[in-house]
Amino acid sequence: MAADVSLADAELIQRSRRDPAAFAALFDRHAPALHRYVTRRLGDSLADDVVAETFLTAFRRRARYDVSHPEARPWLYGIAANLIGRHRRKEQRFFQALARTGVDEVAESYADRVEARVSASAAQRDLAGALAVLSPEDREVLLMIAWADLSYEEVALALGIPIGTVRSRLHRARKKTRAALGGVDPSALVVDAEADHG
Amino acid sequence: MDDLKILAELRSDAPTPDADRLRRLRRRVTRRRRGLVVVPSLLVTAVAVVVAVVVLRQSPDVRPLPFVEAIPLNSETVLERAAEAVEKRPVAPEPRPDQWQYTKTLNVQPADGRTTTRESWLRYDGKQTAGWDIDGNFRVADVPPDPGDDDLSPQAYRKKLLKLPTDPDELIAHVAGDRHWIDKPREEGVPKVVEAPDQRAFRILTLYLKQQAVMPPKLEAAIFRALAKIPGVRIEQNVKDATGRTGLGLFRSAESPRRYIILDPGTYQVMADQMIWLQDEVRYGEVIFKKGSVFADVWLASGIVDRSGLAG
Repeated sequence: MAADVSLADAELIQRSRRDPAAFAALFDRHAPALHRYVTRRLGDSLADDVVAETFLTAFRRRARYDVSHPEARPWLYGIAANLIGRHRRKEQRFFQALARTGVDEVAESYADRVEARVSASAAQRDLAGALAVLSPEDREVLLMIAWADLSYEEVALALGIPIGTVRSRLHRARKKTRAALGGVDPSALVVDAEADHG
Repeated sequence: MDDLKILAELRSDAPTPDADRLRRLRRRVTRRRRGLVVVPSLLVTAVAVVVAVVVLRQSPDVRPLPFVEAIPLNSETVLERAAEAVEKRPVAPEPRPDQWQYTKTLNVQPADGRTTTRESWLRYDGKQTAGWDIDGNFRVADVPPDPGDDDLSPQAYRKKLLKLPTDPDELIAHVAGDRHWIDKPREEGVPKVVEAPDQRAFRILTLYLKQQAVMPPKLEAAIFRALAKIPGVRIEQNVKDATGRTGLGLFRSAESPRRYIILDPGTYQVMADQMIWLQDEVRYGEVIFKKGSVFADVWLASGIVDRSGLAG
């Protein structure tokens, strides 16, 4: 496996078309961070399934990967975004509960059982209230940038949208998060939906 | 207040999975299609894989399995009777490449007794599979060619089966030395398990027995006669499968977990592939499977159908 370390993701994917075993190196490279990201969004219990399905889907689609992109991270997170999206009502309920009660079921899912209950700060609760009312598209962009450390370009690639749309979605999302932290009810906030041009 | 900063702190303690969990997940992802290598040493992997494949509908009833009334039989007599019964079967016509092999199975997990019923369709030529996904949508998926896989399409199984010798001794020698089952599946990063030839012969012959749709009757009879000649092969009567049906329990290794291939006592078709723990299994200082735990695949229905989505 050591020889694979220097290979770009695209090269591994290309190789895996002939030799499926090469795909394992892609897993080793990206699964740990992706797993943490999914855990952070949906909790511990769904993380294995979503990560496994992401890589199985990626494997099936490997013939269609555009090898002009050396880094596969956006591609993988885009696949994961679709799978996470299947649980969006659940994710929304977690944020709602966190906002209302201060108890974060997602954090509790991975916290050590003997630890005290995870209690959120007032600011986190306000923020969760905003996250709960964001549109799924806006939330996806915001969390990809904030939690997956993807750049605007990478988010655009991951979601198959123009970079201007990434900016406008992020802008819209942050209007709500800022408002919530400033004491304004984010669900009452009217945000310009026509800001899609950048 | 900086919203991005607070967001960055939210759940920032989410952990990266530990090496053990990653390893299991990696196997689940890189493993070839079907869990053929279900040997006890790999059991944890196999269990993870089975959960991974497709999760469909959870059925609520879990039955405890009393297995103690099983009665040992003379395996040579029973297997000869099986051979005589199956060799009289008419030869089935070969399915068309665009027909589908339908299978409905019940899976039981050993850790918690969770059961899952799964319906799946595999095109005869192996090019597509179909079934319901996690959301209950019916999906047909292309199967990309995978040279490292040990599993075969029904069509490829038929081709392989037709070439096998029908003399029991030659058959054993052939399957025990078949490079296909020795070298594959090719899995990165998973320790290679190489069984003893007798064990391989047993595993592969019982695997072939499951290829009912494409099984030539004469070969099936030879498989039963060959099984009778493999040292250590035993049969018990009244072995219950996970749905409560009783059958003939074929097994080779007596230790725990004991893996039974349960045969229908009338038709000698495979009803279930089932492991039962005869004692607690301890790993890393913890009991991972209690005595009496069951890991099973029970065949509820199977057959060749014209379209995916049709039950046999």
